Amino acid sequence: MHASLYLVIRAVLSHYWCHRWQTLFLLVGLVAGVGLWSAVQIINQQARLSYAEADSLLGVQAGYWIRSRNDTGVEVADYIHLRRAGFRQLFPVVEGEVSTQRGEPVSIIATDLFALPSNLLDVDKIDPATVWLDFVQPPYRAWIPAQLADELNLEKNSRLPLRDGRLLPPALVQSHAQQGRQILMDIAAAFELLNMTSLSYLALGAIKPNELERLQSLLPQQLELIENHQHLDLQQLTESLHTHLSAMSLLSFAVGIFIVFNAVRFSLWYRRPTFINLRLMGVSTRLLMTSVLIETLFWSIIGTTAGVLVGMQIGKLLLPGLSASLHSLYDATVNTQLIWQLDTILKAWGITLLGLCWALAWPLYRQLKQHSLASRVSEDEKQSRQRLTRAAVVLVVCSVLLYPYLQDALSGFLLLGLLLFSAAWFLPSLLALALQTISCSIPDHPFIARWLVSDGWSQLPALRTAMMALMLAMTANLGVGTLVDSFRNAFVDWLEVRQSADIYLRSSRVDFGRLLDPQQSSAWLQHSHRRIGVTTRWQFRQTLIRGVDKQAPDSLNLPLAQWSADSPAKTLALWRADANSLLVNEQSHYLGGLQLGDKIDLETANGPKSYRVLGFFYDYGNPYFQFYLSREEVVRQWPQHYSRGVALWLNPQNENAVLLAEAAMRAAGASAGDWISQLQVRKLSLNIFERTFTITAAMNALTMIVAAIALLASLLAILQERLPQFAQWRALGVRSREQFFIIACPILIFVTVAWLLAIPLGALLSWLLIHKLNIVSFGWSMPMLWEMAPAWRLGGIILLVVCATLAMTGWQLRRRLPDALAQLGEMD
Amino acid sequence: MKRFVIILLLLQTALADDTFQVLRNKAEGFAQVVPGKSIVFPADHGAHPDYRIEWWYLTANLVDQKGRDWGIQWTLFRQALSAQTEQTGWSSDQMWMAHAAVSTPDGHQFEQRFARGGIGQASVVNMPQFEAWIDDWQWLSETPSPLPATLKFNVSEIKVEMQLSSTDEWVLHGDHGYSRKSAQGQASYYYSQPQIGISGQIGEHRLSGSAWLDREWSSQPLADNQSGWDWFSLHLNDGAKLMLYRLRHADGEHWLSGSWIDQSGFLKHLGSDSIEMSELAFREVKIDQQNSLRLPLDWRINLPVLNRQLQIKPLYDQQWMGTRFPYWEGMVLVEDNEGNRVGEGYMELTGYQ
Repeated sequence: MHASLYLVIRAVLSHYWCHRWQTLFLLVGLVAGVGLWSAVQIINQQARLSYAEADSLLGVQAGYWIRSRNDTGVEVADYIHLRRAGFRQLFPVVEGEVSTQRGEPVSIIATDLFALPSNLLDVDKIDPATVWLDFVQPPYRAWIPAQLADELNLEKNSRLPLRDGRLLPPALVQSHAQQGRQILMDIAAAFELLNMTSLSYLALGAIKPNELERLQSLLPQQLELIENHQHLDLQQLTESLHTHLSAMSLLSFAVGIFIVFNAVRFSLWYRRPTFINLRLMGVSTRLLMTSVLIETLFWSIIGTTAGVLVGMQIGKLLLPGLSASLHSLYDATVNTQLIWQLDTILKAWGITLLGLCWALAWPLYRQLKQHSLASRVSEDEKQSRQRLTRAAVVLVVCSVLLYPYLQDALSGFLLLGLLLFSAAWFLPSLLALALQTISCSIPDHPFIARWLVSDGWSQLPALRTAMMALMLAMTANLGVGTLVDSFRNAFVDWLEVRQSADIYLRSSRVDFGRLLDPQQSSAWLQHSHRRIGVTTRWQFRQTLIRGVDKQAPDSLNLPLAQWSADSPAKTLALWRADANSLLVNEQSHYLGGLQLGDKIDLETANGPKSYRVLGFFYDYGNPYFQFYLSREEVVRQWPQHYSRGVALWLNPQNENAVLLAEAAMRAAGASAGDWISQLQVRKLSLNIFERTFTITAAMNALTMIVAAIALLASLLAILQERLPQFAQWRALGVRSREQFFIIACPILIFVTVAWLLAIPLGALLSWLLIHKLNIVSFGWSMPMLWEMAPAWRLGGIILLVVCATLAMTGWQLRRRLPDALAQLGEMD
Repeated sequence: MKRFVIILLLLQTALADDTFQVLRNKAEGFAQVVPGKSIVFPADHGAHPDYRIEWWYLTANLVDQKGRDWGIQWTLFRQALSAQTEQTGWSSDQMWMAHAAVSTPDGHQFEQRFARGGIGQASVVNMPQFEAWIDDWQWLSETPSPLPATLKFNVSEIKVEMQLSSTDEWVLHGDHGYSRKSAQGQASYYYSQPQIGISGQIGEHRLSGSAWLDREWSSQPLADNQSGWDWFSLHLNDGAKLMLYRLRHADGEHWLSGSWIDQSGFLKHLGSDSIEMSELAFREVKIDQQNSLRLPLDWRINLPVLNRQLQIKPLYDQQWMGTRFPYWEGMVLVEDNEGNRVGEGYMELTGYQ
């Protein structure tokens, strides 16, 4: 049995050795699909691992923070007081941000290595002891994670120049636990660099319950102990983002499996004689099936291994950008060091096996089951088209049924998947319909037109899968492209309204009374807006209650997404008049379930108080809930509020307003770096935006590449399959140009039909992404911006891909036709 | 002198593989130890930040109510990382390290702490009253002098609270407090209070006994060819006290020095020619879970000029300080030639690893 199985497997697998092109494509499809899928899995897993570690800080488990109630930072004296009371679990943290000369934000985290609960012995493991001696002494050291050092082009001991002309401490490419993409330095260095005098917060390492109680009782009035929810918060906040990435990776995987299916389809044609011979030689169906299963297993192992390796590389390329985005959006520290997880590999293997069962084992099984040796290709083709169409109808029905229950990102993507695949399965019928229509509408002459159509029929089975893959990739490209463009558009408009002030100043040292004194500032200042806030938790999510000046220019023009009165202007007027009304961000509506007119009960210093919701404002990119009340109301109800800085509108009449403003801010106690101009704010915001979508664009481009490969694979397979036929044509006197025309035309027709179908589908996809998925995932809405230009551009790109593929096919044809002709002669 | 040891302490500077290097670093830029300078009290009880290293070192031999021997060690070390003028706040170049150990009939436990200077987390002040602290470990006096005082610290879960007092004069070692450490000129300022009455609580146990406080500061106390030292502080039952040390030289020409304080408080300085020290027995001491080290735990000390012969034995062999800068430091008992217990004290052995 074993010997015969071995022989059968050898005979079955010999095909791959003889037809290396097909082997290559099967591998490419498998590796591309598994690679893209596992890249995203690895990235997601890394991010989730980092979130799980979010209750640790610099290698120390920190279950609680101690922060000042009014956000002015923790005084060093308070910290020392607690240390001297025996709370050695406490360690000080300073966080801040500086900008590079190119305006990129760089996060700084600083601590006292001596005070870390697990201190020196751990530090010692890092490097020779002298490393940390340098760390605490001028000129200090900036420990920069390797990836970030690479991006910033920093080598050991080089100093990063900042926007304000100062330099970071000399770099050391090194990182501590949970440092993520932050730059770690000593507190003394950070105080100097950030011009701070108080600590951002204290982190509290492992502590016994009775000690925690004692700490609570000894805590100075101005400080509060906050439980560190970060790992839970981050999981909640980022869940949608990771689902988005997973969905895109599944699409890539699907496209990859289409290529495999395609490659297998052709191998079936070639292997039919082998199977027939084996059966005639008395090999049992069971033995053949076993060999097919072994073949599937073989490819799944090869595909998984190579795919995961490729995925690791793609992950390495994509993770730093994603990690930067997660940090700017959610304050999440994600390590950029990828780690192997057996779990990912097993999952990759599982999904590969499933894919191969569908694309490889099932078709082979069907082949084996066919007793009739006669070729029934055309009949089969029609039947399978009908089967696909029926399946597509089922999928459409399912998606219609699912639509009302769309509640989260997962169900949203399921709906998208159903729709996309139903469209893909409709495509073969559409392609057939197109051929039918053309053949009915063309006259009998010239003869070449009919030949062309009939050749289209014979190419259709071969190209069917490639066209489905291509259409899926085009649809995804258009849909996601529209989403990103719409978002960019909405975001830029919104930034213009929301960030209309010329200068934003945020510092705890500034004497605002002096800065905004009308007598002093009238020459340069037109308007100002001092905002205050308190942080609370509402519906288990971090919520910011902001006290705003309702008469400030940005409050007067607050862009509303939904309003309770007749118009946004009337709603804003009502809000200005009523201290007990509030405006909340869209996130509170879509994710928090608030409706217009609802009452929100908030715990204030004077007991619970109820506020009525008048409208929802756009608040792009904010993962938290945000409520707007008047400044006076927040002062009254939340005495522990903190200052969120001031926005300054300069006097447009005064040419020197900027200089005067800077001088006034300095005189009021601010220093360079405490303020940022409108231009810089917008640039920073847009940078974050672009970076966030880099991974989306990359996945999109990679999927398109996979689809292009699918097309090339199909065309080359057709060539292989039909080479004897082409040789016959040539023998009959068909010129090579005519021959090429005959091959190219149907392809162009098919691609055009796929492209035409992809346009409305892309629009539908983007509509669902923008109006459904984005809202259930992130809680913000935006107008959809549909333009034909991207569709034309995509058409152009696809045309180029088709031309390139045809050129390659043509070249292959010319190279191999002489051999085929010779064979034809021999056969004769 | 002892205790430079540790000072290796703070932060080994240039040569990371030699923890003693900091003691040999050249003293350029730092204040120099010179003969003839008067030690002034209470000012000199406080810190001397312009010198590289300094310590406040207390050891005590205690007896519980059942008559069993206990011991404690509590030390605060200061090191200046640079010779620059002292900066304040987080930029301070002063670093602090503390070691504490409790030797009990049931075993030996120790703990170490580190802190930076300048922010109030650790320091020594003596105005208006003497206080030495690192986090919640605290030596607090009622006067500008370190005594009388309360000492509070803990080692792991064991809480220690002791009352310290003394009526004796401070003992200035060497030449009025100028203590030479080598023929090449290395020296320190060194004084002690060898007679401190101590009583208090270790966990649930009430104890009392006598303690010894050493104060020493320098900028370069060790010579390049000195590899370690053996140090003793002994209370004899007849009321005399003895401090002596041997700085080991690679060539075997060790540097010996000591002080004999008799019952009436009279101080006699002992030079190399008046001290004979020899190891009587080496035994294995566990230094961590896997490793042990052979150390000279039993000693014979002969002081011909005083006609005294003493034998020193540890009360417990296992008193290893597995701190970042490891050494053996523990209670010893003193016997005469007939094997009678004639006193007790502390011994420190460094540089054997």
